[in-house]
Amino acid sequence: MAKTRAIAAEADQPDRWEAQLRKGAVEMAALASLWRGRLYGLEIIRFLENHSRLALAEGTIYPILNRLKAEGLLTSEWVEAEAGHPRKYYSLTETGRLRLRVMAEAWASFSRGLTELLQPVLEEQETML
Amino acid sequence: MTTETQIDSYLTALRLHLGPLTIAEREEIVKEIAAHVRDSAEESGASVETVLARLGSAEALAAQYRDGLLIRQASRSISPLVLLRASLRLATKGVFGVLVFFVAIFGYAIGGGLVLTALVKPILPANTGVWFDGQGHFMSSGVLFPPPGSQAHEVLGFWYIPLALIVGSLTLLATTWAIRTSLRVSQRWQSRL
Repeated sequence: MAKTRAIAAEADQPDRWEAQLRKGAVEMAALASLWRGRLYGLEIIRFLENHSRLALAEGTIYPILNRLKAEGLLTSEWVEAEAGHPRKYYSLTETGRLRLRVMAEAWASFSRGLTELLQPVLEEQETML
Repeated sequence: MTTETQIDSYLTALRLHLGPLTIAEREEIVKEIAAHVRDSAEESGASVETVLARLGSAEALAAQYRDGLLIRQASRSISPLVLLRASLRLATKGVFGVLVFFVAIFGYAIGGGLVLTALVKPILPANTGVWFDGQGHFMSSGVLFPPPGSQAHEVLGFWYIPLALIVGSLTLLATTWAIRTSLRVSQRWQSRL
């Protein structure tokens, strides 16, 4: 009984693990969305939805942007829009660009290493299917 | 409820729960969230109700900003009160936080205790010190009432003062550093919530 429960819990783990993995990358993803220019909050949310599989709760992104700004990685400015209300646009500071470049390099080399490691696992799965 | 009153009551609740932030910061956040709600409803054609539900409760949203601020301030602070408050908040979030909180309490108690006994030594010289018994085994240390009996001898004398001050201060410094480092590490984890 206890064993069955343990196995069930283990099978459950990958989902939670994947969620953690995604959420852990949100900060980098938010910075990356601003690489080509300024965006406002909702645009960042949509950008992340379209360019990565990072669908996040809409309320999550604003406190993160606030924090990244406090850390000096982002700046913001209010811009009047046709919508009738101003929007808060974020852009990367020089420090933010540097930090993002370091993060991107670390991420790329990390994922290259892991992909190599996981190659046999993925190949075997293909032959099984 | 009309659309406007729905938005207004959400923003009022948000403003209320953002209490500890400065007025300027608070108003900026409220303005940004208000713009988000209007844009999001307009763009997706979803009702304001749906958009607000997607944002989560005003209280939960405000809590994310408040935690960010608390931890940001504390990771630059040396005040035990600020650091304890931040680690207490962290303790509500998981095992790591609980551990940090206990280290904080323990470190402050030991460090603060040592410094206090150093200050007490000139006033109560006979009661304060480090005692060994006849066989050279450690018996007790600190401020004792009454002082240990005649079989015990105190080994430090007035050297107790500088020693307790140095060890106590180092313990306090190490505790402060440990809490601040943990808070900074946890800040990275915040985005996972």
